[in-house]
Amino acid sequence: MSGTAPGLGARQAALVAGLTGTGPAPAGFDAARFAAARAALLAKRADVVAGVWPELARDCGPRWRELFAAWAPGRPPGGGYADGWAFARQRLAAGALGPAAAVELAAAGARLGRPGRRPPAPPDRAGHPLAGTWRRVGRRLRGACGYGRAGRAVALRLGRRLWVVRRP
Amino acid sequence: MTAVPGYGVGIGWRPEIAGFVAALPGLRMVEVVAESVDPGAVPDALSALRERGVAVVPHGVALSLGGAAPVDPRRVDRLAAVAAALGAPYVSEHIAFVRAGGVEAGHLLPLPRTREAVAAMAANTARLQAELDVPLALEPVAAFLDWPEDELDEAAFLTEVLDATGALLLLDVANVYANCRNRGTDPLALLAALPPERVAYVHVAGGSSHGGIYHDTHTDAVPADVLDLLRALTARRQPPTVLLERDGRYPPAALLRAELDAIAAASGHPAVT
Repeated sequence: MSGTAPGLGARQAALVAGLTGTGPAPAGFDAARFAAARAALLAKRADVVAGVWPELARDCGPRWRELFAAWAPGRPPGGGYADGWAFARQRLAAGALGPAAAVELAAAGARLGRPGRRPPAPPDRAGHPLAGTWRRVGRRLRGACGYGRAGRAVALRLGRRLWVVRRP
Repeated sequence: MTAVPGYGVGIGWRPEIAGFVAALPGLRMVEVVAESVDPGAVPDALSALRERGVAVVPHGVALSLGGAAPVDPRRVDRLAAVAAALGAPYVSEHIAFVRAGGVEAGHLLPLPRTREAVAAMAANTARLQAELDVPLALEPVAAFLDWPEDELDEAAFLTEVLDATGALLLLDVANVYANCRNRGTDPLALLAALPPERVAYVHVAGGSSHGGIYHDTHTDAVPADVLDLLRALTARRQPPTVLLERDGRYPPAALLRAELDAIAAASGHPAVT
């Protein structure tokens, strides 16, 4: 490799960016194969999300892959739960989320909460000697109960029991 | 090198087919996606298999051993803990990368077949092997695209990776089939160029063609051509274990049993059904 060529890490990052649509397609790859690979990854990503969010996928009907493929590029894959959460919220904001998918989203909020949520210590207590205790209390509370809302669907969880209501 | 234990025909354990797998009378080995197992809470179904003497092998899919960045030590520790919790005879991962630049690809991506990639693979594999108490087998992936900077052909690249890491080979005949078919090269020549004595076990899986490209989907039937490759491999040296991977669109139990029987016949192992 010549001294001016980008190293392995930069090239790998460029390929991942190109395949996930978070960056342009990197130079040098066969264009048709690159497009096929990108489409295959997107289809797999949609299938993974549909497995975690069956009502969301059903809500989109036969256009599921097409709608997801229109949304996903440029958004770094966050895993099935996080991707489905973000896509469902976007459809909710656009007024396009059906009632069953809204119930699924509200229930997910009550069960697992926002994706990637780590109980942060409150800013004023971050350096407090009891910061660890606050974090544990927060985590314990979130284990004991949860609340989720999506449009007119509201979900409440106490322990393992879950109630979902639709507001009129 | 100590002899690799052989288990005949195995299957990838997935929660959706746990009942089917548990009902296979002759089964002696399953593989489980390592990232799906909590080392502190092994699923009861896997514990039950272990109690009847079935070996459980963790198959890592997210370490990104071929990444230029050092492998995440937390992922290494977790895989080692899963292997210990399962009492695994060996562990497997991929010759691939799955993330770069802080972005997850969501899929196993092929490495450029360069000496720089061999060195990255060797460095990360050494970090993993340092924490494992059991041998590691590395699996070459199905590559749906080739890098412009490729310096080596696939056989030379894989041989260099195996030499540089000292790892065993998890040879996926469906990946060999996919890569050679998509590149228009001879799968038998690739098989012949790989060291048979390094094979810890073999993967077999199904796939399908779209737009002239063969996709290793794990959700379709195993093509006859893939079984032919398994037969050719066996003729050279019988692989100690041959494992069916099925990851979705599960067929009726009778069809899955027939695939296991076909794999047994092609590899000269007793049927497990």
